[in-house]
Amino acid sequence: MTIEMDRRTALRALTLVAGSAAWAGNVIDAFAADDAVTIGWPSDVPSWDPNQRFTPDAQPIFKLVFDQPLDQDPKLKLIPKLLTKWELAPDGMSLAVELRDDVSFHNGDKMTAEDFRYTFFERIKAGHKVDTANSWRKVKDIEVQSPTKARMIFSSPAPTAPQWLAFLGSYIVPKKYFESVGVQTAAQKPIGTGPYKLVDYQLNSRIVLERNDAYWGPKPKIKRVTFEIIKDPSARVAAVQSGQIDFTINVPVREVARLDKEPGLAAELNPMTRIILIQCRNDLGFADDNVRLAAHHAIDKTALSKAFYGGAAVPLSVVATPGTAAYLPDFKFAYDPKLAVALLAKSGFSPSKPVAIKFATTNGQFPSDFDIARAIQQMWKKVGIDAEIETIEYAKYFELNRGSKLPEATLYSWDNATGDPEIFAGYLLNPKLPFSAWKGQEVGDRMAPLFNIADYDKRIAGWRDLNRFVIEKGATIPLLQSVQTVVRKKRLSYVKYANGWILADKMSWA
Amino acid sequence: MNAILLLVFRRVLVSVVILLIVSALLFCILRLLPVDPAAMSMPPTATIAEIEAKRREMGLHLPLPQQYAIWLGHALRGDFGTSIHFRRSVVQLVMSSLPATVELALLAMVIASVLGLGGGLLLFHMRGRRVCEQILDLASITLLSIPEFLWALFLILVFGVWLEALPFTGRLSSEFQRPVVSGFLLLDTLLVGRPDMFWDCVRHMLLPSLALGVAFSPTIMRVLRSSLLDVYQEDYIQQARLRGQSEWRILLRHGLKNAILPTLSLMGVQFGFLFGGTLLVEVIFSYPGLGSLTVDAVRNADLPIIQAVGLAYCVVVLVINTAVDACYLVLNPRVRVA
Repeated sequence: MTIEMDRRTALRALTLVAGSAAWAGNVIDAFAADDAVTIGWPSDVPSWDPNQRFTPDAQPIFKLVFDQPLDQDPKLKLIPKLLTKWELAPDGMSLAVELRDDVSFHNGDKMTAEDFRYTFFERIKAGHKVDTANSWRKVKDIEVQSPTKARMIFSSPAPTAPQWLAFLGSYIVPKKYFESVGVQTAAQKPIGTGPYKLVDYQLNSRIVLERNDAYWGPKPKIKRVTFEIIKDPSARVAAVQSGQIDFTINVPVREVARLDKEPGLAAELNPMTRIILIQCRNDLGFADDNVRLAAHHAIDKTALSKAFYGGAAVPLSVVATPGTAAYLPDFKFAYDPKLAVALLAKSGFSPSKPVAIKFATTNGQFPSDFDIARAIQQMWKKVGIDAEIETIEYAKYFELNRGSKLPEATLYSWDNATGDPEIFAGYLLNPKLPFSAWKGQEVGDRMAPLFNIADYDKRIAGWRDLNRFVIEKGATIPLLQSVQTVVRKKRLSYVKYANGWILADKMSWA
Repeated sequence: MNAILLLVFRRVLVSVVILLIVSALLFCILRLLPVDPAAMSMPPTATIAEIEAKRREMGLHLPLPQQYAIWLGHALRGDFGTSIHFRRSVVQLVMSSLPATVELALLAMVIASVLGLGGGLLLFHMRGRRVCEQILDLASITLLSIPEFLWALFLILVFGVWLEALPFTGRLSSEFQRPVVSGFLLLDTLLVGRPDMFWDCVRHMLLPSLALGVAFSPTIMRVLRSSLLDVYQEDYIQQARLRGQSEWRILLRHGLKNAILPTLSLMGVQFGFLFGGTLLVEVIFSYPGLGSLTVDAVRNADLPIIQAVGLAYCVVVLVINTAVDACYLVLNPRVRVA
């Protein structure tokens, strides 16, 4: 009897708790203001030292707290930011820059050319463990001519220096602050020149930013931006569906259509400057040009796009995305299984006597990667390529490649927010770099001069030729332009960037 | 009291040995993995010469026992190295995440205990009533067979998405700025005198701790029930009945007091599993504890963090087991005499 009474009491208490919780939640919702936005983000920043690690997903967050010397418009055209002027010398050996004179860091210190020099030269010389030490290793010196004028001097031509000033890790940090508090403290209490200030940070949980009312540029409409770090895609879906967040990215592709029908939500698939490709070796089972070209002709990219990306991922024939400088809209590499069979027959292979290769893939690094690999395996099997799939960790790609341990083919994805061809083919197919599984010198020899051409049009023309050559040679197999999935509250508008940047300072509530 | 102190002293000694063994095992296993920490800590564009220099700087060219001795020397001074991914002190990272996981696991254990003990008593109470007993038995088996991550998804769906009653991401609503006193958020919100923040924190913890607790409660339920059934076969229960004591009094004074001992031992063991189970649940609920940190570390092959987190898990489990043994000692006079 007593137990029965206790059970009832417990049930009543439970109801009360649930009711109170719901009420409290509703009260909080009611007070949610239109000048705030909560974004569900898939990963945390690795550090608040923006020069330290090259993490593409962290760039849209860094761009709110820090400014870059140059910026890109939604179509990826370079535009001024902290620099008002920049001029690459005809030989590409120096870059003259002029900085704005009305910019202050969050602590009130004025941003000058000394900070520019500190960021791109002094930190590197001082041995700070920053990834920018690699991207700016050509910088021999930076001459400061006045508080707003400087000249970067390179040890060899650096035609893509302007692009890199708007790319990974290139954020100007305050010299005086870093030197007075030390790098560690500066990374814990970051100070930038950006449109927002960091007010709260909880590792792997939350980033809260508040508008910098003294910002030199256009003031963002949203006053408070909260990034909830939600690593699990299903949890991000649930969070946006329940209204706990206003905006999120990288939800499963299959959820997009369903969420778009939810009242109050909008969901979309946006193509971006990330490509999915197969990195090829030029030896082992892929030593023969016919085999590699057959492998390429055997893949039905449109079918892959339909099956795994709802048809939104654009099939690619070159290592560049539509709209970028060295994309070749008129060049199409045909899906032709019969030609694939014929090419393999020339080398003595057939479906009954297949060529055996290994095919590495990540599992979960980008949407449907493992499934795409399995589909390609089946397509190859039909023409006479017997691929054995092996799963690798994305983080191990470089290590395997350095040790020549990658197999003949590796499914890979590549992000290039600049859209510049040097950062597409120039990295992905440069035999000297660990990004490229292809070590054939014929590509390296054609590519080498392109790194030294300062004239933009000539440089782009060179990369366009190379883009065609590497495909005809079978040095790589571009598959699809990747897509970014976005789910948001309908009332919340944002600017679509071709490189997938999601910038809260460009958001507004209707 | 002396017996308890002696037990704790013995346990501390044993724990040191266990920690040494675990640390050596972890160190060897992580070094045997086909991962090069030097290459991982450099940007992709680093040259082979730069990576080799880094390898030497990290002492990776030395024989494994020498590497371990160096690592141990540093660890004894509280230096567990620098994270490859975050490039921050590993101790700092682990210590900033550990309290969240401990809090979550403790709350989950409270929930598991309440549900488990309550359910066990109910199961016992229904003994002999064939239909009720079978239904409850089936229910407990069903609960037992659902893993914690499925509970997590189910609870998110029901309380988060359908009812929109409870938050399921993070530890605190964004309106609040987290107070930093001890690192234990529930405690800190009380220490700074913010009951509203405390309540908000509890709301955030309810679903993840329920997911963990519900998954672990059926084991407690079933062990308590079977212990009670055993105890009720003893003569002293019959004698208590003959003395005219009520069933309720017999249950509390004789039955539960004796049946709780094996249940308590089980709960100690279970806590270790429960603590390990936080890993997936933390990821699903975006809960910033050791689990989230571990997942990041594994993704980035961040060996110093994996090593430190492994040891942190080991320390917590040892501490809890010592505490449970101490409780056992208090509750069971026979062990004290022995």
